[in-house]
Amino acid sequence: MASQRDVKQRVESVRNIQKITSAMEMVAAARLRRAETRIASLRPYAGAIRRMTRQAAAAAGSVPNFPILEERAEVKTVGILLVTGDRGLAGAFNSQIIRAGIRAEAEHAEAGRQVRWYASGRRGVSSLTFRGKELAGSFAGFTDRPAYGDARTIAERLMADYIDGHVDEVQVFYNGYVSALTQVVRAETLLPLQRASVLEEVPEAEEETETGAGHALTEYEPDPDVILHRLIPDYVEISIFRSLLESTASEHGARMTAMRNASENASDVIEDLTLEMNRARQAEITQEIMEVVAGSEALV
Amino acid sequence: MAKTLFQVEILTPEGKVFDDEVEMVSTRTSVGSIGVLANHTPLLAMLDACELRLHKGDGEILRFAQGEGYMQIGDNKAMILIEDAIPAADLDADDLEARIAERKSELEAMDADTEGARSAERDITRLEAFLSVAASN
Repeated sequence: MASQRDVKQRVESVRNIQKITSAMEMVAAARLRRAETRIASLRPYAGAIRRMTRQAAAAAGSVPNFPILEERAEVKTVGILLVTGDRGLAGAFNSQIIRAGIRAEAEHAEAGRQVRWYASGRRGVSSLTFRGKELAGSFAGFTDRPAYGDARTIAERLMADYIDGHVDEVQVFYNGYVSALTQVVRAETLLPLQRASVLEEVPEAEEETETGAGHALTEYEPDPDVILHRLIPDYVEISIFRSLLESTASEHGARMTAMRNASENASDVIEDLTLEMNRARQAEITQEIMEVVAGSEALV
Repeated sequence: MAKTLFQVEILTPEGKVFDDEVEMVSTRTSVGSIGVLANHTPLLAMLDACELRLHKGDGEILRFAQGEGYMQIGDNKAMILIEDAIPAADLDADDLEARIAERKSELEAMDADTEGARSAERDITRLEAFLSVAASN
């Protein structure tokens, strides 16, 4: 049996680990709240962009042809963007995204399509590199708090590769945020951009209030179709920004849960070890008494 | 006589930056500079990266570095949607210069007339506009 002192040391080290994990849990909880607020504050912007697009499209008569709206007849190369975190210790958060990406690659390979990899977050970058995949784009260092500029960088890179013909389709894999406890892997086709997602998705009641007064009288500076030319790519930026924000919220949620489990686990371990320590102490006492008794008997 | 005030709302993807009444908004569309007063005719404009000034009256002017975006005016209310709205005082000229230099060297490595090169050029234009806002601090 381990000596009393050994067990005591182990209890101490588990207790230290528990302090760290519960601190990490609290940090994650605070960051999760902030990430949730940021998802909420993107909504009015995205809504306003959509309304403007519809207004400009109505004024332009039709949506002109954009390279990113055009579907390719034959898809030879698929771009896959994995949205992961910069840090680990968040349960299955990173690994489930990477697994989903690898599985998709296998499916594409069966259908004779090649995959061009893009990753955001250090975890995704390093594990793809470790698996020997060549990355066409890696974006890291911001997943704690992604800025719109980060989304723009990624979006412009993907759109450029799509327009320049390096990829014929782009898919995004990210952790969709459902609640602090639940995150689901979402796979979305980002490019070609679906015409329907730009125009037909008429949102709830807000539609009624915003239009109304004098469409025909509106001045356009420059022409509506020129404005559309910039509005359409904004959709791609916004949807990447949304996946980054959701992924960040999911990461903090997953870490919070993982750390809570770790803290609870540590409590169990401490309890077991304390029991063992008491047993060891009792054994030592019994041993000493036996020795004293044996000694005194020898003297008589 | 005090000028008439009108409502201006500035939204960025990261949240609302401003929502209050002002006398005049001065900015630049892709066609040219524009100053908007109250009761402006309905307008949908595309904005370039530049300096955005909100004249609040009494000579008080709020200055922002404005990223690309849009402005919609209707019902005597202006809604400005921009990708960045950085208060002029928060700009860091050294950081901007470093980023411009970085993008320029990337641009040199790229083939001309690809979408990648065009996006680098857009970045440089935007950063240079921010830098000139920072310079007039």
